[in-house]
Amino acid sequence: MSIVLLGINHHTAPVEVREQLAFTEAELPDALQAMIQNQAAQECLIVSTCNRVEVIAETADANQLRDFVYELKRLPLNCFNSHLLQLTDAEAIKHTFRVASSLDSMIVGEPQILGQVKDAFHAAQTIGTVGHTLTRLMNRAFAVAKKVRNETGIAANAVSISYVAVELARKVFDTLDGTTVMLLGAGEMAELAAKHFITNGAKKLLIANRTYEKAQTLATEMNGEAVPFETLDKRLAEADIVLCSTGATHHLITSKQIEQVLENRRYRPIFLIDISVPRNIDPAISHLDNAFVFDIDDLEAVAEANLQERQREAERAELIVSAEAERFAASLAEGNLNQVIGVFRREVHQLATAELERTRKRLGQLTPEQEDAIQIMLNSIVNKFTHPIIKQLRESEDGHSPYLEAFREFYHQDKE
Amino acid sequence: MDVLLVAVLLFYLSSAIYAIITLTMEQPPARTNQRLRVLVAIGFAVHSASIALSWKQLGHFPVVNLKEVCSFLAGAIAAYYLIFVPRDKARALPIFVLLCSFLLILVSLLLPDEPLSLTLSSAISASPFTKVIFPIHVTMLMFSYAAFVVTVAGSAMYLLQERQLKTKHFGAAFRWMPALNTCDELSYRSLTIGFVLLTLGVLTGMMWGSQHDGRFWHNDPKEVLALVTWFVYLAMIHYRVTAGWRGRRVAWMAIGGFVAVLVTFIGARAMGGYHVFG
Repeated sequence: MSIVLLGINHHTAPVEVREQLAFTEAELPDALQAMIQNQAAQECLIVSTCNRVEVIAETADANQLRDFVYELKRLPLNCFNSHLLQLTDAEAIKHTFRVASSLDSMIVGEPQILGQVKDAFHAAQTIGTVGHTLTRLMNRAFAVAKKVRNETGIAANAVSISYVAVELARKVFDTLDGTTVMLLGAGEMAELAAKHFITNGAKKLLIANRTYEKAQTLATEMNGEAVPFETLDKRLAEADIVLCSTGATHHLITSKQIEQVLENRRYRPIFLIDISVPRNIDPAISHLDNAFVFDIDDLEAVAEANLQERQREAERAELIVSAEAERFAASLAEGNLNQVIGVFRREVHQLATAELERTRKRLGQLTPEQEDAIQIMLNSIVNKFTHPIIKQLRESEDGHSPYLEAFREFYHQDKE
Repeated sequence: MDVLLVAVLLFYLSSAIYAIITLTMEQPPARTNQRLRVLVAIGFAVHSASIALSWKQLGHFPVVNLKEVCSFLAGAIAAYYLIFVPRDKARALPIFVLLCSFLLILVSLLLPDEPLSLTLSSAISASPFTKVIFPIHVTMLMFSYAAFVVTVAGSAMYLLQERQLKTKHFGAAFRWMPALNTCDELSYRSLTIGFVLLTLGVLTGMMWGSQHDGRFWHNDPKEVLALVTWFVYLAMIHYRVTAGWRGRRVAWMAIGGFVAVLVTFIGARAMGGYHVFG
């Protein structure tokens, strides 16, 4: 019996393949139960997201499990084997830890995956398809993910343009709570950034557009206020954050304008983001105190630098994950070994005791000293008999020697 | 007393190290700030005890020479941090403040002890009133200096970060520094508190002088320089209130004001006069 991971993810397969193996939330309970009922696995859970499908199971036969997954998805046997990751024990453990720690993610360090893995585990828990081994494995995986997050910077910095904008604004305003955002133009990226600012605490959204109707439509959609383009000069003073993305070919916001705006704002800082190409905000505004301008290249440079930083941190994270996976695999193997050894000794001891009881009638009344002597002899025989065998077992470090397998067969320990 | 002071030195140093370590952590342990404050508070308590002990032994308020002034200022800075600096926002600030206290105590330990001069001794013990006004005068001024140290720390962090935001080259410390607005608020708040304390310090000095020899103004270099400093800070507050000045310009002015404080603090000593002690 071993931990097996069958996985397909964005590294191993294109979306055309991943989607055929994906499980929807509604399909999951039946799939999990079917795996147990058909004895494809002893314990199992399925992590299914847009980037990956991972079946994590405790099973005796990985191939049988794989065939059963094909069967479940009504696919011809072995059709995607080249895309399929099939890992056992130590490797399966490590992969599970890497996935939970977001080291296997498309954007390394993105935080959603841990939540998705947790959901998958809880779903399997509710249905009752995870037992002792997988519970231990998953709890360990969550702890490792937490450790990686705390001890490395893999999730520390923003790597998408709109998050970078939010983080930079935080460097100026500390908190975005209560700030006012002005969206100029209707570029998709600026719109996305505006949404990020709102979810991060911005209170008010002003929307300006050359075509007032467009501004109104967008304002209804995003719960903001449409601002006529002609009043831009006046309304700019209200904005702490300006997001600009229009098709204009000249500077819509000039240095002179901002100079006036700053005075009207009593020099409270203003943060301008220009996602348009060609640029719509005069870069010379940067020379004004309390005005901060970032264009698309600036944001991309920060995102790129952050991504590189994450990748450096990911290397440190890999070390943590490897060490933790080894430790867990060893403790699991040792647990198995100790269990087998314990059962073996108990059985031999029971055998000897039973023989003693049968002979006792013929021995008659014994003095306490004689009783002690017999007990000592009995223990001694058990120890001498079992010692070389146990020694041999313990020397097979990974707990997978043929002896161990043989012992499991002898004493039927798989069910425990 | 030096033994106690060495203990204080170690407390301030270890709190500074604790502050540095927790600052660089991705997720500092819970209640980091409270722990840091407790550590500083213990150091400050020991420090206060050592000063009280000196006072008892010497029979006069023990802040009469540079050695004692350095030590007292270190304590004032620690106390200022504990009382006036808001709890969670500027996590990088305590490092600056605690290192300042640490260095001042180190200097104090290295400086020779100078005996109380006769002129000062007579000025202190001229009457029961001067005996009381002297510690108040000194304490007010020391706390105003402490406030200005925090102002400068806030301004320095502001300028460093502002520069990085403008040039778009983000250094290693960028992540750990508080936001511009936080620096600005911290700086301005300390500036106002420091200004009030400076005013009170100067006023109590005048009261002392007029009680002692009938003159509240002696044209002592320190008095003149303190007045200059006072006007620098007054101007800054004035422009902040009326014209809304803030940010880079004010940060530079705060640093300029602090230079005036330093000149007042150290320069007057070189120029003679009776404020020679610090």
